Amino acid sequence: MKVAVKLYAVLRCGRFKEKFLDYPSGTTVGDVITDLKLPPEHVDILLVNDTHVDFEHLLEENDVLSLLPMVEGG
Amino acid sequence: MRFLTDKPAVEPASVLYRRCTVDLKNGDMQMGEVPCLNLEDVLGGFGRSFQLLEKREICDAYVDENPLIVNVGLLTGSHVMTGMRTYFSGYSPIKGSRKGLPAAMWSAGSGKFGAKLKWTGLDEIIFENRSDQPVYMVIREGNDGPVVELKPAVHLLGLTTHEKIMSLQKEYDDAHFAVIGPAGENWQNVYAGAVALSTENQLKSKEDKSRFAGRGGMGSLMGYKNVLALVAQSNDKLGSTPEPVKKANVNVIKGGGSARLQPIKRGGGGGTWAAYEVLQAFHAVPVNNFRPQGNDIPERLFRSRVEKSYEIKSEACYRCGITCHNNIYKRKEDGSAGEFLAKFDYEPLNLLGTNLGLHETEQAAALIHLCDNYGMDAITVGVTVAYVLSYNERHPQTPILNGITFGDFDGIRRLVELTGQGKAPEIGRGSMRLSVDLGETGYAYHVKGLELAAYQPETNPGYIWAIAGGHMSMGTYGMLAREGKTDTKSWVEAITQDKLQIVGFDMIGLCKFFDIVKGIGTAMVVDCLKAEHGVIVTEQELKDAVKRAFLRGMALEFRQGYDKDEFCLPAEVTESPNPNIKMPMLTTPEFLAELNEKVWEVFDREMQELL
Ligand code: SF4
Repeated sequence: MKVAVKLYAVLRCGRFKEKFLDYPSGTTVGDVITDLKLPPEHVDILLVNDTHVDFEHLLEENDVLSLLPMVEGG
Repeated sequence: MRFLTDKPAVEPASVLYRRCTVDLKNGDMQMGEVPCLNLEDVLGGFGRSFQLLEKREICDAYVDENPLIVNVGLLTGSHVMTGMRTYFSGYSPIKGSRKGLPAAMWSAGSGKFGAKLKWTGLDEIIFENRSDQPVYMVIREGNDGPVVELKPAVHLLGLTTHEKIMSLQKEYDDAHFAVIGPAGENWQNVYAGAVALSTENQLKSKEDKSRFAGRGGMGSLMGYKNVLALVAQSNDKLGSTPEPVKKANVNVIKGGGSARLQPIKRGGGGGTWAAYEVLQAFHAVPVNNFRPQGNDIPERLFRSRVEKSYEIKSEACYRCGITCHNNIYKRKEDGSAGEFLAKFDYEPLNLLGTNLGLHETEQAAALIHLCDNYGMDAITVGVTVAYVLSYNERHPQTPILNGITFGDFDGIRRLVELTGQGKAPEIGRGSMRLSVDLGETGYAYHVKGLELAAYQPETNPGYIWAIAGGHMSMGTYGMLAREGKTDTKSWVEAITQDKLQIVGFDMIGLCKFFDIVKGIGTAMVVDCLKAEHGVIVTEQELKDAVKRAFLRGMALEFRQGYDKDEFCLPAEVTESPNPNIKMPMLTTPEFLAELNEKVWEVFDREMQELL
């Protein structure tokens, strides 16, 4: 299945901004994070089609997965 | 501090801290050891200072009875990473109730002054009354404990914060400094004066890289008292780091702690600046007085854009591995760093850049530099200027302050300069007073008189219950973006339990970045306290002390005349909902009414004994 993956801020470094990627059905958000070798301590906000999800969320054909780091004040 | 017990929560009176009370009217000083009343007294910071403030009846910030309390936290000056904090407390010139009474307030800053102060052997200074001549205070370690002296400071008058620090550095070796700038000296017309705290980097590089205790006008209170600077002179007192503290420090750097704030080239997230990119994904970066437009205009101040033309150096306070400062330099032709421009943190960058309609790096940097050097709170100044710009947009025929508009850099810069010189009280006294004078309060982005940090109120109803500014005293600002929670139950729990724990850092002497998510009630802090001071406290005792201190702060708000209807967001948020923000709309009248009811149900009950 095709999934659009969008990366933000530091997660883009050395990777991409947005890409369509192919995954077998049954792929979770966590699988994509592992596949892209994203440092888990930086991946804080997980959105599928603009809705917050968790690492175990099952992706579906044509989903848009956005991965963002944490918001910190200061 | 002297510990005659290893159980400070159970036997607080067996913990003694050293305090110096100075009567600025006649120069009298009283030095003594004070037994603690409870664990929050032991922890320090506002946990202690608010217990003194609640004993005073203060009707105006600028009266002699309003003390300025300067203190540190239990872990300030320790081996624990980020243990650099100094706290300034008093009744605030800027934050106040509709009845006109000033609110109790504290402000915290890093830099090395706090550690040096602690190493002189002094834990707290209370300034009473005011001096009729400008003075500065020198605190140094003597053979029998700290020695304190007041000195004439006429030669420092009119100097910027950085110039004052540079001037004092020539006189005092092995010392660090806390100073006000021209803004604090012009306290009559600038209520938003900040205190600048020197850093090692600043003293070495001679560049204006202070840290600031900015919020609540504590620099203006210091100016009212005619105290222009504090000098803490002492040897550095850190030997080898105890093993448990080493472990905690590594965890802060490598573990969950604050990895995200470290430099990108070390695998970190690049500091608070990264919030720009995260919030822009939701079109929630404040633009033109907190009205995001749903376009890509904020991207012009993204780090990735700025670094194409400027050098960014990641720098830090003394011994701090978090290295959260992003210092911006002009780039020389050979590609190396040239002139230092400013430090880019999310809040000042947004509130003196995008939120004023300014999108050029050097324009935002120039305004940050001005606020830093005049010694003004960038948040209050930025938000109040944004209010003026939005007023002029709504009233093109009858504008105020020379009719400046969003994006008019020269006009805005001039206004910021005049503010720092005490010649623009409209800005210097903050957005609450200006909006009341103009009869348009709904567009002023403050809560209870203190301007909002750079998070859209639509995303953070927790602002309403923050007791000392939105992002430092209520950790709900990223909750909607991070967790997407829209049910009242989660928000009530967050506001009344977990997210208020953020204020613990303003007691114990550490930066919030030590562990912004979990607070100080953790095994990591328990281990550090045992290793540094030999004391045994539990995580729950720490959490309870933080909660009591928070509730005391809120009870003090009511004591100073706040009505519950002042606990509210700017009216524009509910009256004219912004359709551009791509997050669930939390701030509907219905949601806010339900949240209010449920939060007060908890706080009313818990505050009963304190009111
Ligand atoms: S986290 Fe940042 S502000 Fe705090 S001590 Fe470290 S470098 Fe300084």
